[in-house]
Amino acid sequence: MSTEVLAAAQAGVPAPASGARQVWWRLRARRAAAVAGAGLGLLLLLALAAPLLSVLIGQDPNAYHDDLIDSARGGVPTGSYGGISGEHWLGVEPGTGRDLFIRLVYGARVSLLVAIGATVLQVLIGVSIGIAAGLGNRLLDGLLGHLSDVFIALPTLAFAIALTAVVPGDFPRPLLLILVIALLGWGGTARIVRAQTLSLKKLDFVAAARLGGSGPFRVARRELLPSLAAPVITYVAILLPTNIVAEAGLSFLGVGIRPPTASWGQMLSSATTWFRADPAYVLLPAGLLFLTVLAFTVLGDALRTALDPREASRLGVGRERTRRTRRTRTSRKGDPA
Amino acid sequence: MTSYVLRRAAGAVLVLFVLSVVVYAVFYAVPGDPAKLACGPRCNPAQIAQVRDQLQLDDPLYTRYWHFLQGLFAGHDYSTGTGVLHCNAPCFGLSYQNDQQVTELISQRLPVTASLGFGAMVLWLVLGIGTGLLSALRRGGTTERVLTWFTLAGTATPVFIIGLLLLMVFCAQLQWLPFPSYVPLTESPEQWAWNMLLPWIALALIEAAKYARLTRSSVLETLADDHIRTFRAYGVSERAIVGRHALRGALPPVIALSALDLGSIFGSAMLTETLFGLPGLGQLMVHAVRDIDLPVVVGVVLVTGAAVVIANIIADLLYAATDRRVTLT
Amino acid sequence: MRQLPLISRRVAAAAVSVVLLGGVAACGPEDSDSSGSKGGSGDAPREGGTLTVLNSQPQSDFDPARLYTSGGGNVPGLVFRTLTTRNRENGPAGAKVVPDLATDIGKPSKNATVWTYTLKDDLKYEDGSKITTADIKYGIERSFAAELSGGAPYLRDWLVGGDSYEGPYKEKKGLDSIETPDEKTIVFHLRKPEGDFPYLATGTQFAPVPKAKDTGTGYEKHPISSGPYKVVKNSGDGERLLLERNAHWSDKTDAERHAYPDTVDVRSGLDSAVINQRLSTGTGPDAAAVTTDTNLGPAELAQVSGDKKLADRVGTGHFGYVNYLAFNPKVKPFDNPKVRQAISYAINRTSVVNAAGGSSLAEPATTFLPERKYFGYTPYDHFPAGKTGNPDKARELLKKAGYQDGLKITLTHSTARNFETSPEVATALQEGLKKAGITVRLQGLEDNDYSEKTKSVQQAPGLFLSHWGADWPAGGPFLAPIFDGRQIVKDGSNYNAAQLNDKAVNDEIDAINKLTDLDAAAKRWGALDKKIGEQALTVPLFHPVYKRLYGADVKNVVISDWTGVLDVSQVAVR
Repeated sequence: MSTEVLAAAQAGVPAPASGARQVWWRLRARRAAAVAGAGLGLLLLLALAAPLLSVLIGQDPNAYHDDLIDSARGGVPTGSYGGISGEHWLGVEPGTGRDLFIRLVYGARVSLLVAIGATVLQVLIGVSIGIAAGLGNRLLDGLLGHLSDVFIALPTLAFAIALTAVVPGDFPRPLLLILVIALLGWGGTARIVRAQTLSLKKLDFVAAARLGGSGPFRVARRELLPSLAAPVITYVAILLPTNIVAEAGLSFLGVGIRPPTASWGQMLSSATTWFRADPAYVLLPAGLLFLTVLAFTVLGDALRTALDPREASRLGVGRERTRRTRRTRTSRKGDPA
Repeated sequence: MTSYVLRRAAGAVLVLFVLSVVVYAVFYAVPGDPAKLACGPRCNPAQIAQVRDQLQLDDPLYTRYWHFLQGLFAGHDYSTGTGVLHCNAPCFGLSYQNDQQVTELISQRLPVTASLGFGAMVLWLVLGIGTGLLSALRRGGTTERVLTWFTLAGTATPVFIIGLLLLMVFCAQLQWLPFPSYVPLTESPEQWAWNMLLPWIALALIEAAKYARLTRSSVLETLADDHIRTFRAYGVSERAIVGRHALRGALPPVIALSALDLGSIFGSAMLTETLFGLPGLGQLMVHAVRDIDLPVVVGVVLVTGAAVVIANIIADLLYAATDRRVTLT
Repeated sequence: MRQLPLISRRVAAAAVSVVLLGGVAACGPEDSDSSGSKGGSGDAPREGGTLTVLNSQPQSDFDPARLYTSGGGNVPGLVFRTLTTRNRENGPAGAKVVPDLATDIGKPSKNATVWTYTLKDDLKYEDGSKITTADIKYGIERSFAAELSGGAPYLRDWLVGGDSYEGPYKEKKGLDSIETPDEKTIVFHLRKPEGDFPYLATGTQFAPVPKAKDTGTGYEKHPISSGPYKVVKNSGDGERLLLERNAHWSDKTDAERHAYPDTVDVRSGLDSAVINQRLSTGTGPDAAAVTTDTNLGPAELAQVSGDKKLADRVGTGHFGYVNYLAFNPKVKPFDNPKVRQAISYAINRTSVVNAAGGSSLAEPATTFLPERKYFGYTPYDHFPAGKTGNPDKARELLKKAGYQDGLKITLTHSTARNFETSPEVATALQEGLKKAGITVRLQGLEDNDYSEKTKSVQQAPGLFLSHWGADWPAGGPFLAPIFDGRQIVKDGSNYNAAQLNDKAVNDEIDAINKLTDLDAAAKRWGALDKKIGEQALTVPLFHPVYKRLYGADVKNVVISDWTGVLDVSQVAVR
């Protein structure tokens, strides 16, 4: 069984753009990528420096400010725009009066840690299984194929909730989230790697190596992995934002990072009730999450074009491509959002 | 063709079987005693034991799974105290929480999720095909740039964010749309649509981008074909070419992808329904998972899993039927 | 025990609080006794119209045997009449028990072990047939059947032979301790004196069930009405209920229920945010709508209180409920009273109240019993923490206990978003205790896991967030399950977390149970609460206050302290 449809569907053909326009678009794409990259760099820096920043601006992410909220009115921040002040740059959290700026910065730590960790693990699992399926015999290939089909029919979020419930409460949550997201989301990588392996297998240099008596491990390491790097890195660029969203989604459903640790998804989920009374509280984590995922997507697209000039940019801002390449078993493993 | 369908169907059954085993195994390990939950607070140990016996919770995992399979294919009888309750095949069992038949629970919730899915699909098709066509016709201009960013935004936004923003703008600020509250289609079609509009828009905005991209590339591909060039040479209007020929070429992948997306709408339905408080399958699932309501979890997983698998098959068939370049193997 | 009304019995044990928006909330002190102004517009309530009830929990249990609370909560109370019932009046007056099917609240024998009731005349079911005491006996017997579990444990504990009886389906013979000498008389024989029996008789187990109509677990589909409304439609396992007037009910025999509307349309399975949204918008039938299970959450309260028109449509209620920190002295270091006292001193109740929704939804508490006379409220504050805690005193005590370098402890809470045992409250406590040099590690458990662990003698953690609500408005059911040594349950759900087994306490409980003068009993419960408080086995945190919206057309709003929520049997929509 296959999902040719999707493979075909996703292999879009971009416009044959004229030379000057093409260059302009590329430039544009690069500029967007540069902005996105800079933004993400800044976020990463802030996240890494969060404890230092906390000391510098004198805000503890967990310090309560009961005087900054109106207790009789459900704990809504006093003052306008969610209680913005010289001391609390982005206002305070309703119900607790905790500083939002520093909590958002700390939240970035969690988001990035979980997303990057899960992506690395997904790639490790996906590449191993993909190569095994590609190089293995028909039986192994079929078995692994069915396995990924099962994982595709699996309601990822429901399983994630169940898995987080199975694990004892003392288990470190970020690690748990990394494991859950990775274990449920390796299917896409595996499919791509398998497809690539199958086509590489037919190429002369791999065939030669196999004929020359190299074992499957040697072939995988020496011949396949270097050629797989480009598509895998491209795919990582898609996985990263997907995983950020996945972490936020799990926290949104209440099974993610545990309080008092700040996380964007958790802030969003408690913010859902406040969209009328304190809109600023919703807009901040929502906007930040949106921009981060957007930046990752832009950067990923640019990376993809840069790495494989034959591939058009997914966003239709890349190079001309004349023939449709039929890929098999492309990922259908969408993001859980 | 027939053998292909049969093979796919057999594969689908196998996948669902494995799925049910996995669900059983995972939820078996979830801490908490369903008997205590089902019995209620301040039940004495004897009562809990009785409930446990009634729910057959003391049986080993494989026996319980076997009973589940039996119920699925042959139905199951439950004691009601005074008589017998017959649960017809396919019987997923009774909910631990309220003794309701799982099939009944699912059939109650299904219309909500289906309303959400189909409505959103109509919207994303209109939106996606429309923008896709537009941008294919006006290549390189502002339209294309707008589409590019629209696409980017769509890919970047999880449904709970776009939904929240929509709520803030249309429900809290402008007060144009109500906070969604599901009204059955049979009760009042206008109310049904009016209430579902926000969730539809939220889902459609995210999906439409993908369809716009797909439509655009398919249309462009068709437009580059030789026969279109011939039409142009004969002086057929651009409008007719696009409307009659290019669009026809673009539809198959769009339809196929729609089938797939509809099948997997469930994943996003959990978040959408949680955000908007819609009593659909997604919400049922979230609750059942927390209540360790194994029969409900298994039932919902199988039903939605089946939807995904069947959608996959239909998508491939549809695609093959409309595009001769694809052969089914 | 009784949970917050939002939470139906069984779901209560499970974790209900997936509810993302809104949610359960507790609330504030200023408007303490003004609960439930006779609401709506000024003119007198009239008959007619349709009352819409918007609820989150479906009435999935509609069998009188399976319901836990008095009258089975609000909606079932429209269908089931019981031997006694709660007084349908605003505030503290509503915490009284009054006769319903019976002519009085019960005639006790001298030592309160035998209770006799006589039925009123002309009592009929919805089909016009006569209600007899045999049907009441049968209704009680059914509640012993395992198939119909869910009711409160008292009947099993109190009735002679109740501990071993397995219900009428298995044991045709019935319970000998319930006698029906004639059609109008019923006599109960108890194992021990229970002055609170009239309260118990408000439970739906005391509603008549005609044996011929009993269909076991199927009975809840259409329970036979003895009250002002009968079930016309019950679909989706209680998700949609349609009740219409029961022509055979008469207000001549029922002094408590009004039954102004012609029809009651109950729609449940709604998200709490949806309910509050619909009530505040109030278009179409929603103008004549109420909710019997959904409070305003903090964010919604913030929204509503900014809108004068909406704020006028908020009913405030007080239900006897306490949220507290529970110690398990079997776990170190909580075996040391000084440590428990230090923690009591260090509590920052302001942060805790804010975490629970602010001063309008929660009242800071230093006593276990709620601040109501009928509970026997006796003020005390043995370890005064002031508004924001007394970290110095706490440090001093810790030093004496040998923890001069600070103390590391674990606080167990649930992950349910109920603003009670939830992460918000736990985090607020953690932050407060930090000032006294106490480092708190939070252990958040999924709700099922939480309720199982905290109620297990073997596995109970040393310190956890807990809550308790009385099954009826008296000190007994509030204190006994928590502090009576004989109610320590070794192999089931244990609520005596401290595992206190103090002979003096046990004896006093027995002595008060013998009293049939409920006022005298209340005073002694209050004194007992104060006495137990000295041991610092719990840290009372706050008593919740309920805030609920009702539709613009809703009149005659009555909120009694018994339930703390608007009474549907009093509401008029015209």
